[in-house]
Formats: sequence, C-alpha cells, structure tokens
Amino acid sequence: MKKKSQKILSVSSLKIGYGSGKNEHVLLPPLNAHADKGELIAVIGRNGIGKSTLLRTVTGLQKPLGGEILYDGKNITDYSLMELAQKVGYISTETVKVSNMRVYDLVALGRFPHTNWIGKIEPKDHEAIVDALKKTSMFSFSDRYVSELSDGERQKAMIARILAQDTGVMIMDEPTAFLDVGSKYEIFHLLNILSNSNNKTIIFSTHDLQMAISQSDKIWLILDDELVTGSPEDLMLAGSFEHLFDPSVVLFNSYDGTFSFRNEKKGNIYIEGTGNKRHWTEKAVQRAGFTVSREMTSLYIITPGENNAKWRLMSKTDSEEFSSVYELITSLKKEKINPF
Amino acid sequence: MKTESKRSLSADIKSGRKVKLLFLILFLLLIIFLVLDVFLGSVSIRASDVIDALFRHTGSNFETIILKFRLPKAFTALIVGVALSLSGLQMQTVFRNPMAGPYVLGISSGASLGVAFVILGFSSGMTLDSLHGLGNWILVAASWVGAGAVMLLIMIISSKVKDIMTVLILGIMLSSGISAVVTIMQYFSNETMLKAYVIWTMGSLGNLTSNQLNVLLISVSAGVILSLFSSKWLNALLLGENYATSIGLNVKFARTIIFVCTSILAGSVTAFCGPIGFIGIAVPHIVRILFRTSDHRVLIPGTILAGGVIMLISDIISQLPGSENILPVNAVTSLIGIPVVIWVIFRNRKYSGSF
Repeated sequence: MKKKSQKILSVSSLKIGYGSGKNEHVLLPPLNAHADKGELIAVIGRNGIGKSTLLRTVTGLQKPLGGEILYDGKNITDYSLMELAQKVGYISTETVKVSNMRVYDLVALGRFPHTNWIGKIEPKDHEAIVDALKKTSMFSFSDRYVSELSDGERQKAMIARILAQDTGVMIMDEPTAFLDVGSKYEIFHLLNILSNSNNKTIIFSTHDLQMAISQSDKIWLILDDELVTGSPEDLMLAGSFEHLFDPSVVLFNSYDGTFSFRNEKKGNIYIEGTGNKRHWTEKAVQRAGFTVSREMTSLYIITPGENNAKWRLMSKTDSEEFSSVYELITSLKKEKINPF
Repeated sequence: MKTESKRSLSADIKSGRKVKLLFLILFLLLIIFLVLDVFLGSVSIRASDVIDALFRHTGSNFETIILKFRLPKAFTALIVGVALSLSGLQMQTVFRNPMAGPYVLGISSGASLGVAFVILGFSSGMTLDSLHGLGNWILVAASWVGAGAVMLLIMIISSKVKDIMTVLILGIMLSSGISAVVTIMQYFSNETMLKAYVIWTMGSLGNLTSNQLNVLLISVSAGVILSLFSSKWLNALLLGENYATSIGLNVKFARTIIFVCTSILAGSVTAFCGPIGFIGIAVPHIVRILFRTSDHRVLIPGTILAGGVIMLISDIISQLPGSENILPVNAVTSLIGIPVVIWVIFRNRKYSGSF
C-alpha cells in the first residue's frame, strides 16, 4: 500500500546555532529538508555537529538564526505555542526525574494543549491517554511511579506522552541512547509501527547507523558542509556514509551497510561450504585479518556440512579439526600464510 | 484488554476516593485545630465561657481575650500556614528543587530587607504610628519587592547551576549577605526605629492589628487565587523548561505569574509576622507523602489544608496551654520542619536530582 504523500514539515535555508548579532555562532551551512506524513526519519551525524540543535530548532524550542520552518505549509512563527504543541511533540535526552508521578500522570501531561485552564482530564482525554498507553504496551504500568521504571520503560512512557499529545510530527533526540539491546530493538520496533500504522512522522537522531539504515524511510545525514537527505539506499549508492568515517581506519561496505576496520592484511584464504556456518566463519576469518578468496588457496577451511560436524583447516600436508569457530581462528592466527 | 481497562478504571475511582477522603480528613483537622487554638491558651478559660464569649457578647474579660487576641491570632496562624506552604510548593516545582522554600533560599530575608528599608530607612521622618493604615500597604509592598528580587536572583543562579545543594548553599550565602546589609542599616538608624525593627524580627502571630490582618487576608487570598490558576502550569514545569515549552506552555509568562504569586504569599507573611522558618519547605513534602501524587490539582488544595493545620498545631504548642510561658512560634515550626527536611535530604541521596 502506498501512503498518501503529503509534506507535513519543510525546512528551507535554515540557519541553526546560538547567539545573535555579532556574537552569532552558526553551526551549519543553511539546511534544506522536508518530511512527509508517516515517514520515519533518522538524523545522523557525528557528535557535536548540531543534531540536537537542529531538532530543538525544528521543535520551536530554539529560534533559528535564519531561514524558515513550515508545518503544514504555515511558518512556525505564525503558530502560538499551544497550536504548535498540537503539530509537533518532542523528547529530549534529558531523563525525567519526578518522584510521586504515576505513568498515567506523565502521559496525561501530553494532553496539556488540549485541556482547559486547570488541566481537567475529560473522557476524550482519558481515551487518548489509555490509547497511547496501549499502543506503547505501557497500559499495565499506568499506576506505577515513573521513578521506579527501567530506562526502556521510561522511554516508552515518554513516547506514550508524545502520542497522547496527538501531534503529526514527533521529534526525538537519541531515543535509544541509554538503552540495553533489547529495549533498543523494542523502541525501534515501536517507532516503526507508529510511523507505518499510525501515520506519524517521526524524526529521531541516533548513532546506530545500521539500525537507521535498515529501519528508516529517510535519512538526514549531517555532514560538515551539507545536509544530505534521501532514502538509506540512495545515500548508500551515492557513497554518502563514507564521509562519516576516517577512511584510513574504517572501511564502509556499501553492499550490505556494514563497516569493518582496515586491518593489516594477513593473506587470502578459501572457504569451502555453504549456508549459515559458512557466513559466520567468513566473518570471523575477516575479523582475524584474512581476505576470503574465491579461488582455492594452499591453506583452506572446510565448514561443517553433511559429512563432517567439525571445522577443518586443510593444508597440502595436514588437516586439523576444530569444534568451534573460536578454536579455528585461534589456530589460524598462528599460521603463517604467504600472501598468495 | 477489557478486563484490564476495568481494573485500571476501578483503580482510578479508588485513588479518586482516597484523595477525597484525605481532603475531608484534612478539612476536619483544620476545623478541629482552629477551634482548639481558640479554646487553648495561657489563660485557662472554660469551654462554656469561650462559647459565651463567641456568641453571646456578655462583655466579660474572657470576651476581650477571645475576640481581641485568640481569634485573630488563630486566623493569622491559618493564613500564615497556607501562604508559606503554598509558596514553598510553588518554589519547589519552579526551581525543580526539593530543598526550595521561602526561608531556606533567602526569600524571607529579601522580604526582611524590604521591611528594614521601610522601618529603618524611609520612615525615619515618620513615627511608628503613621505606619498604620496606608503604612501597612507600604510595608507589605516593600516586602513583596524584597522577596521578588531574591526570587529573581535565585532563578538566575538556578539557571546557571544545576546542582540542588549548590543552589541551597548560595541561597544561604544570599540570606547571610542580606542580614549583613540589614545589620549595617541598623547601625545607622535611630533608637526608636531600631527598637521597632528588632521587635518585628522576633516574629509573632499575635501582634497584628485588625487593619494588618485585613491587609494580610487580602494579599494572601489574591496569592491563593493566582496559585489555583497556576496548577496546570506547575504540572507542566515538573518536566523541566524544554518539555513544558514543547507541550505548549509559555514558560516565561507562567514563571513570572508564579514568581509574583510566591512573592506576594511569602512577602506578606514576612511583612507582618517576621521570618517564620521551615513551614514552606516541609509542608509540601508532607502533602506529597500523604497523597503520593505529583499532580498540583491535588497538591495545591492539599497544601492549603495541611499548611493551615500544621501552623495551627505549631501555634497551639507555642502557647504551652495552661502555662504562662509562650514559646517563639519560629522555634516550634523549625522543630517540626527540620526532621522533614533531613528526611528529604537522605531520601534524595538515592536518586539525586529528583523530587
């Protein structure tokens, strides 16, 4: 199914930074980008380049030094704070530490732009809160105190809050920064669902390039001299990601979006075998500094298959068996292989 | 899912009932201690005589004691408790600092400085009697300005220094500095003014004229009404400035109104009763323990009730019923408040930065 393409946010010749007048400190050259409805957009760039500043500026927390930000075609400066809060929601890297605050109360704060002067939760607000809690699978945590949650649970509660705010655009600054692997995947999964099924536009910054490449619809790649935008695949084909790394140390594999270190080359080696076991043996061999050869080499590896349960390292005169990849690699490292 | 929904709904109703019950209990306690405060005092008066004095106008000596002294004093205690506790609650949320309170952060000192300017400085040409009438309003306004100025300074400090304890220490420095300025002013003032000022600093709930009580009542009522408007803002400010802005709060405007409100509440009390310590910092914590919530729509009325109750209790204790001695009320509030503050400090070591 093709989503109805609709520009919800656009940024043109935006200058971000701090100060004003003569003390103006512009972080990046003027930026141009846009986001459609229901897109999951990852913002990538090295530390300190201005990811947070960009996100804060787009949210309206910080004044731009130039250029314009449009939500639904209307300039951000033409919205009142309350109106803007119904267009865009925000999660920062700041952890919320409030004792005695229940998860329900935290999520209820998302209704701020929708409630009356005293903040009364009407039935429709309650519905929105419960809905947000359910979508983030935090419903059973409603009565728990925020200070008692794990990092991952707290982040989900924060996402529920922004959902209850009912904005088209959700901006998150490193939503997976302090999370363990499991919670991180959960959050990415959640973001994916929210953008796909709930048509939310989510713009988040991350350092997890692999995850960004595999999960997001679009990437805003902040480099020193420009902002490159496009689908992860387009950027990959254009070789844009290579600008993120020092090419003398890190080798970016634009075939599968992985990176490796440029190690000293120890020689070529041929691997016989197929499937999963071959795949991981290749990885280990590469990490040890060898290049996997397509032609037979004098020293070669046979991965476990139908005939044998063990890894075998074969040379002209000898053959050794190993019961794990680890043992194979340990032994391989000791071998002296002639390059070619 | 459906059963889950029901469970949470019933939990909602339960917590709503609990809140209502607590409000009822606090309200009853308020009435009980207000009555007790009138009934108990240095002079033992029989209950029947108190009732006669209140409702029958027999013109006895007791009537003078009850109507001229005990009743105004009880109402003053009530108003003072409400005002200080409410200003403490607002400060703790705005500064996101559990140690904030009008006394510890030097807001009361700021108010004293304002009062010192009026009593020792500008009024040197006037006699003390000319302070009655319009003078009370001048006194209270000077107190507001002093309190507001210190609030502003603490706000600037808080924006630069995030550490709660550092802000606290700087607050103590600030009040010491202000005390020094007041001491210097005392040195240069004449004897009558000095005497008037020293009596004021001792702090008392019982020395208010009816005119002063009126001024106090009007100012504090204004502060309470403003605070009711601020409950939604305070809830948003719990998350910090960035989040509050992102959900649509005009933080600068909200802060200004809350500052004005706090300055009025703490300043008015300090102007007439002198600096009274630890009520403002302790009561909001007691209310949080009671209600186990961070929602200011519950905390504000809870603090109003609990503040009144605790100040009335302090006043009853300070009168040492049945004996002829009277303790300074400041000593009683400190002894009640300090354990709470110490508890908060210890609890906060666990997860520093939260409140």
